Amino acid sequence: MDLSGRFGARSGDGVPFREATALESLHLGGGGEEFRQMVPPENAGGFTALLELPPTQAVELLHSSSSSASQATTLHSLGTLSFPSNPLLMERASRFSVIATENQQNGNVSGETTTTSSVPSNEHIKTEPAETETCDQAAVEKQSNRCGKRKELDKKVKSSTKKKSKSSEENEKLPYVHVRARRGQATDSHSLAERARREKINARMKLLQELVPGCDKIQGTALVLDEIINHVQSLQRQVEMLSMRLASVNPRIDFNLDTILASENGSLMDGSFSGATMQLAWPLQVMETEQSYHHRQLQQPPSQQWPFDGLNQPVWGREENQDHGNDHNNLMVGSASLHPNQVKMEL
Amino acid sequence: MQPTSSMKEEFLKKWQMGLQIYRPLIDNTSVSERRKAIKLSADVAMASLRKGTTCWSRALIQKTATEDNFLVRQMLSGIKAETLINKKLPKVMCHRKIVRRSKKILRRRQSRSAIEEVAAKARKLVKKKTQGLRNVVPGGEFMSNDVLLIQETLDYIVSLQTQVNVMRSIVDAAEAGSERTAYYLGKLKFAIEDG
Repeated sequence: MDLSGRFGARSGDGVPFREATALESLHLGGGGEEFRQMVPPENAGGFTALLELPPTQAVELLHSSSSSASQATTLHSLGTLSFPSNPLLMERASRFSVIATENQQNGNVSGETTTTSSVPSNEHIKTEPAETETCDQAAVEKQSNRCGKRKELDKKVKSSTKKKSKSSEENEKLPYVHVRARRGQATDSHSLAERARREKINARMKLLQELVPGCDKIQGTALVLDEIINHVQSLQRQVEMLSMRLASVNPRIDFNLDTILASENGSLMDGSFSGATMQLAWPLQVMETEQSYHHRQLQQPPSQQWPFDGLNQPVWGREENQDHGNDHNNLMVGSASLHPNQVKMEL
Repeated sequence: MQPTSSMKEEFLKKWQMGLQIYRPLIDNTSVSERRKAIKLSADVAMASLRKGTTCWSRALIQKTATEDNFLVRQMLSGIKAETLINKKLPKVMCHRKIVRRSKKILRRRQSRSAIEEVAAKARKLVKKKTQGLRNVVPGGEFMSNDVLLIQETLDYIVSLQTQVNVMRSIVDAAEAGSERTAYYLGKLKFAIEDG
């Protein structure tokens, strides 16, 4: 969650990362869990002093995380406006060693415990209450183990100057952040920077491993990189093969087919686009058109019009022929302007 | 993260827009020229989806601009085309011989423990692979640090997958359609000739 949140933060306006953050919406509860383990106070008031808005930010984060979790679970593929900032804040919160003061923490925890008491009574399948439930239980557990495992739980934070890829949003709020090294590790700035860099690289490598099929089992960076290179090369080769096939099919088809498709979108791309639909729709259309028209088509030079008109039908076959068997004449004539309007009405 | 339907739609639209540009030239082109046109417009469509935020998209657009400047200009909106085509990130080319020689000298002075050697070899291997990755990903040579490289690779892989999915579905549709037309054409011709 940490990593993909970082990802989402890094290029907030990029489409895929928005998707990534949207997909990670379900993990917001987990991110909130991380955050809550930071909420209980450490003895360092000095740490909080460094953070410019510790308590208010913490409260904001708590509330915004629960609300955005509810939002995001419903809107899966859309990135809501509040969203890009949340993973950013989430991961920032999770990296800080201290965030809130004692009063704040008590207030928050008590607020959460009241909700948890009410939630278990109802047996929901909804994710939102489930998330808060697990979060709070985890927070309660973590508090009990706090003292013993404090050092392991502390995360390291880079100073803002060393981060290049991080957005300037972080820099605005915090000029620099104290770093707490893990137990038994060197603390000079160079090794810290290196460590942070290595962590970043490892995080992204993990994401890559998930993306490329068959990389999960492999251990070792070099082999994973090998797999990635092979995958990219195979994808590139596939693109070339597909463009070759498309070019050799028929000149008219690829260029004209697309004009029809350009006017409509959406439901087509969700997998309904297959050769099977072609074969389904094509005989249907052939049967339904009048015989005279059919023969007339043949007498014309076939290569010109035929494939063009023939392909209009099958493309829409799935959506239209099931609903209504008319309007073929319109389509056959090739009046593209009329066609999409009708399709829009029916769809 | 897998390609989403919205990405596919956008890619399809842009690709078609690119293919439109080639429309007047359909009849008098060979298969290889058509293939090139298809591939180039698909590439530019894919790269323009990112709107210049990623390094690989910029590099890809520049690459296609060298092959077909006109297409690129038409496909992208005017302002972006200018900035994308003309700007290029210069990467300092290291003279490999000099670098190798200096590395050799450094190596002689270093102490050689067994563990260190193994680690060094592993590091070398990884470096070779990253260099290989840079060769594959467009614009890889201009990515100075590994973090950026891996991020770009991720984005590039996702885009490639959308491209492949969309193209595959269109090709299947087109091929099935043409198969059917050929089949029915043959059948009817046969019927006419007989009857």
